[in-house]
Amino acid sequence: MEKRLIAKDALAGIIKKLSEKMVVYAPVKDEDNICFRVLEKGQEPLVNYANTKNAPKNFFFPQTETMMRYMRTERGMELKSAEAEDVPEALLFGARPCDVRSFVLLDNVFDQDEYQDPYYIDKRKKTTIVSLACVTPPYSTCFCTSVGGHPMSSEGADVLLTDLGGNYLAEFLTPKGEALLSQIGDLAAADEGAAAAKEELVKKSESEIKSKVAGSEIKPWLDENFEHPFWDTIHKSCLACGTCTYLCPTCHCFDISDQVKGADGKRIRAWDSCMYWLFTIETSGHNPRTSQKQRWRQRLLHKFRYFVDNFGAIACVGCGRGVLYWPVNIDIRKDVNDISKL
Amino acid sequence: MQKNPYVPIPVDIAKITTEVDTKDIKTFRFTFVNKEDEENFKYLPGQFGELSILGKGESPIGIASSPTQKGYVEFTVQKAGVVTSTLHSLEEGARMGIRGPLGNSWPLDYLEGKNIVIVGGGFAFTTLRSLLNYMIHEDNRKRFGEITVVYGARNPGLLIYKDELKEWEKRDDVNTFITVDKGDEGWKGREGFVPTVCKEVAPSSKNAVTVICGPPIMIRFTLPVFFELGFSKENIYTSLEMRMKCGIGKCGRCNVGEKYVCKDGPVFSLAQLDQLTPEY
Repeated sequence: MEKRLIAKDALAGIIKKLSEKMVVYAPVKDEDNICFRVLEKGQEPLVNYANTKNAPKNFFFPQTETMMRYMRTERGMELKSAEAEDVPEALLFGARPCDVRSFVLLDNVFDQDEYQDPYYIDKRKKTTIVSLACVTPPYSTCFCTSVGGHPMSSEGADVLLTDLGGNYLAEFLTPKGEALLSQIGDLAAADEGAAAAKEELVKKSESEIKSKVAGSEIKPWLDENFEHPFWDTIHKSCLACGTCTYLCPTCHCFDISDQVKGADGKRIRAWDSCMYWLFTIETSGHNPRTSQKQRWRQRLLHKFRYFVDNFGAIACVGCGRGVLYWPVNIDIRKDVNDISKL
Repeated sequence: MQKNPYVPIPVDIAKITTEVDTKDIKTFRFTFVNKEDEENFKYLPGQFGELSILGKGESPIGIASSPTQKGYVEFTVQKAGVVTSTLHSLEEGARMGIRGPLGNSWPLDYLEGKNIVIVGGGFAFTTLRSLLNYMIHEDNRKRFGEITVVYGARNPGLLIYKDELKEWEKRDDVNTFITVDKGDEGWKGREGFVPTVCKEVAPSSKNAVTVICGPPIMIRFTLPVFFELGFSKENIYTSLEMRMKCGIGKCGRCNVGEKYVCKDGPVFSLAQLDQLTPEY
């Protein structure tokens, strides 16, 4: 692993320069929000920001995506292509450790031995991830340490940047990360002092995550209490708007549909949400989840029970987006903690 | 990387059989456009496929043919939604797609050496037909003990696989009991509901497994009969249905608890279902 130093005021310029050679996804100001966008030519990314409104999952798992194209012929519709389209070699800059960890969790779903999802895997393979450690937790709603993460974790990152004050400590962790280093060119080597300073920050940042959630403690209760009066309470303010699933870095449910215009057609997939009634309704009219109570329970159980059973990890990275942007003040932290007291 | 699991395998409709008087259930025989696809399409009774019509969508349907029937694959489809209605409007020779085989199968290893009771109702006899034809094939028949079939429909016109029913009835190595809820003028066979007939037939639970598919109401009244006969939940198997899209455990909609019906199912024993969340 290569460890280098990047002067603080040089970072945005380095990324801007890289964006002339490759596609760069980075946080930028977009009206009143900070969002991940593709950097335009000459555009500098933000380097000082809390976190973005959207999770960066859409770069690997777009909100809508063409899976295949076909054309009407005399024999009916004929398949023309079935590859992930326009996938560039790309750099994802500035993702927070919680969001980067979400990719490791999503790999469990999309990159299984039995069935590999070529659309996700192709983008994932072609993207280098530069993560920006949370030396100070961005929000009071951050709870990564309660669900298996850490504000300065490098899990899933190719490069981890740590703000040491005057410099960033840049750790090039993987072959992809090292390839990026060769693109950047000369950077000063980091001395042992930088490593020691980082270790101090690791402890400090962890202690500054004040929001604690009984994430792993509720599993035994969830295993036993599919039916419980508790489930009659928490969904009541839910509007079934789907905001939680759209903002969530780990929500991965999707729909597949066909679109035809004239002689051309495509099969697309689009994000879907377990919060919607249509998600599970069958052609016969039967719907295994007819109420918002059932759908709410499904989402919580998927994250804190089923995903743990299948992949050994909670499907929540503690980014706090749901808490911040839920339109009706539902707070997953409170719900999980309430369950832990039952 | 392995082959893209979302791309349908091209097939041609080789034969269409209208199964019922109401004409809304047809069996489609598909042949593969490419020889290598045919060789790679290795399936077992109980598995399903996504019938794929570009421009319309996909529909998950159980495979109705047996792997012992070479050169083609069959699906029996009820006309219901967009995809199945389009399929019903297609003619022999039309080209479309199949994704699969998907899901697990009837537990053939477990069934081996045991007496098998097959119970089906109405249209839900498709993967049971696959299983039955597989077991009575000359290469396989001696691997299984006594085979009993109880199959019923609301009326004679709604029985599917009518020609095969006659052939199964003729065989002396299959105990076939065909019944209808209510017969018509031409019906000379048995009348009575499936649970009642099962009670009369009273197959022994000794070294036996029941495999059951049918409408929920039939299953609800038939299971107590088999419990009464001494069948344990480990020895009763069924197949679940759920709304599906991807068919490969990713799109997230067909889960029952931590299991995806598309990937971990559709076949489960009652004992396995008891371990899952009560949500189907």
